[in-house]
Amino acid sequence: MTYPVKGEHLHKKFKKQIVLDDVSLTLREGEIYGLIGPSGAGKTTLVKILLGLEKADSGNVELFEQKPTLSAFRSLGYMAQSDALYNELSAYQNLEFFASIQGLRGKAKKQRILEVAKNVGLDQDLKKGVAQFSGGMRRRLSLAAALVHEPRLYLLDEPTVGLDPLIRRDIWTLFHFLRSKGATIIVTTHVMDEVSQCDRVGLLSDGHLIAEGSPKELTEQYNVETVEDVFLVKEGAKG
Amino acid sequence: MSNLLAMARRIIHQILRDKRTLALLIIAPLLILTLVWYIFGAKTSEPNLAIINYQNSDLLPAFKASDYQRMSPLEAHQALADKKIDAYVDLKNPVKVHLEGSDPSRNGLAMNKIQKSMQKVQQISITKMQTQLKSVIQNQQKAIQAQQQIMKQMTIAMQQYAPSILIAIQQQAPKPEQPAKMQAPEKVSLDVSYLHGNDSLNTFDAFGPAMVGIFVFLFIFMIGGVSFLRERTTGTLDRLMASPIKNYQIIWGYMIGFGLFVIVQSFILTCYLVYVLKIYNVGSIADVLIIVFILSFSALSLSILLSTAAKNELQMFQFIPLVIVPQVFLSGLFPIDTLPRWVQMIGNLMPIHYSTEALRNIMIRGTGFAGWWLDGLVLIIFSLVFITLNIFTIRASRPLA
Ligand SMILES: Nc1ncnc2c1ncn2[C@@H]1O[C@H](COP(=O)(O)OP(=O)(O)O)[C@@H](O)[C@H]1O
Ligand SMILES: [Mg+2]
Repeated sequence: MTYPVKGEHLHKKFKKQIVLDDVSLTLREGEIYGLIGPSGAGKTTLVKILLGLEKADSGNVELFEQKPTLSAFRSLGYMAQSDALYNELSAYQNLEFFASIQGLRGKAKKQRILEVAKNVGLDQDLKKGVAQFSGGMRRRLSLAAALVHEPRLYLLDEPTVGLDPLIRRDIWTLFHFLRSKGATIIVTTHVMDEVSQCDRVGLLSDGHLIAEGSPKELTEQYNVETVEDVFLVKEGAKG
Repeated sequence: MSNLLAMARRIIHQILRDKRTLALLIIAPLLILTLVWYIFGAKTSEPNLAIINYQNSDLLPAFKASDYQRMSPLEAHQALADKKIDAYVDLKNPVKVHLEGSDPSRNGLAMNKIQKSMQKVQQISITKMQTQLKSVIQNQQKAIQAQQQIMKQMTIAMQQYAPSILIAIQQQAPKPEQPAKMQAPEKVSLDVSYLHGNDSLNTFDAFGPAMVGIFVFLFIFMIGGVSFLRERTTGTLDRLMASPIKNYQIIWGYMIGFGLFVIVQSFILTCYLVYVLKIYNVGSIADVLIIVFILSFSALSLSILLSTAAKNELQMFQFIPLVIVPQVFLSGLFPIDTLPRWVQMIGNLMPIHYSTEALRNIMIRGTGFAGWWLDGLVLIIFSLVFITLNIFTIRASRPLA
């Protein structure tokens, strides 16, 4: 078993505010890991530290079982919480740029772009300018940009926020398809009904990873109906 | 290398699809320069002047009727109060000038014109003196000739009656010197020659080199800064940083992508200035282009650097008073020789200072490569320093790479 991402004893402070307090997290290959928690819990910060976009105050990060390097990024797809698109460009030009940066060339590149556009249901809108896209379309295009180079590891920060249920279901079907091809996915969310779709979830609250395990394990362990209730139990225990 | 090209190509696509930015980059500087040209470059308006007490004055020929209205003292006083005229000259001896005085530039115009007329006044009085002097001399010469006549007759008489005394007198008499020739009167009018430029060089011609620098810098600074800022605020920079692209490729990609538009902009701007506005230029247009181009790069690299310190577009624009305005004042638009040394030192840190110097050398003094290579080099060094700082800044926010 290999570990695509491993973070050990991560601490992070912004000024005086403690955002991550000794968080350790290891992803197993080929799983969908859901990082859940209320907003402000530190999910985005954790993902950014795992990616190397943010520096942890202390702790260790490994990507594909070694110190992160630039070339590791080639096997990594990142979707930020913001859409991170070029508004002036068309959807195609956006994908084309990110594909080029990831090293795709010529025909293969073009083919891949059409493929991912179809995956996220935007194949009819490639020529449109991103400025004319709805919020949901932007989200999907942003996701497509993270998929375009077929990475082995996805770090997706709230990929389904603002999408209607039908599209959300399609997107999750896509995630399962990607996993079936061997990809590892870490998804942050605060939509609780997505939790059951994950192989494992980590509960992040106030910078602490308060519980971790498969949804089923968690509900059994804490003797609750839904994973959401685990937060309440934990909060209650604290109080 | 291909990452670099992908970056550059993307920026080119972005600008091409964003008509507003394109217009701001290319048309706006032209519009503003045209405006400035009308303000500084259009023929300076003639001052409105008048003379009084001219009836018996010999100086009247110096004040042409086309330039000076003839007025009575009362009329002139009233006209001055109503700002119908800028000044009037009282030709009574001694000559006096009365200025309206509320607008320094009109004062200057009026005084300029009046001083030119006063030079003519001096000429008139000098010719008058010359003619007086000449008649005095002629009278004296006549008197001398009459005396010489008498002397001759006396000598003849002496030869007859006392030749020995005559010889003694002739021996003692001082040798007659050559009579001093009347010297030609010295020319009074000033003969002005220009080492650089000529007398048709107007304010715009002189300001032009500084103006070009200022507006090119301003627009590139705004557009470059905002577009890199957006890269950070929209999160696309994070996406880039989570990709295998290298730090230097991000920055140089920007330089190359924008560079293309900068070339086009420099070219259009320079041609417009030289061929349409006909700004005074004795140098080579290629040299002008090179300097404008190098300057744009320093503006671009500086704007990217400062965009790091801005959280949004408003904050980016707040840098303008800090970065652009001092450059306007210290860049050579106004003389800075008399300012304290530390202010001059600040001026030396400003890119536009060097572009102005170089463009003046090229356009007005017509110096070739020798006249601008040093300034050009300083501008290139500016850009390289800013670019290096940019690369380090990105590296700092990309701890793992
Ligand atoms: N760059 C930053 N500077 C200061 N505080 C930050 C920064 N980024 C995040 N924070 C703070 O860290 C906390 C966690 O933020 P974040 O990781 O975005 O939470 P989540 O993604 O779970 O909503 C929040 O309180 C946020 O205000
Ligand atoms: Mg977040």
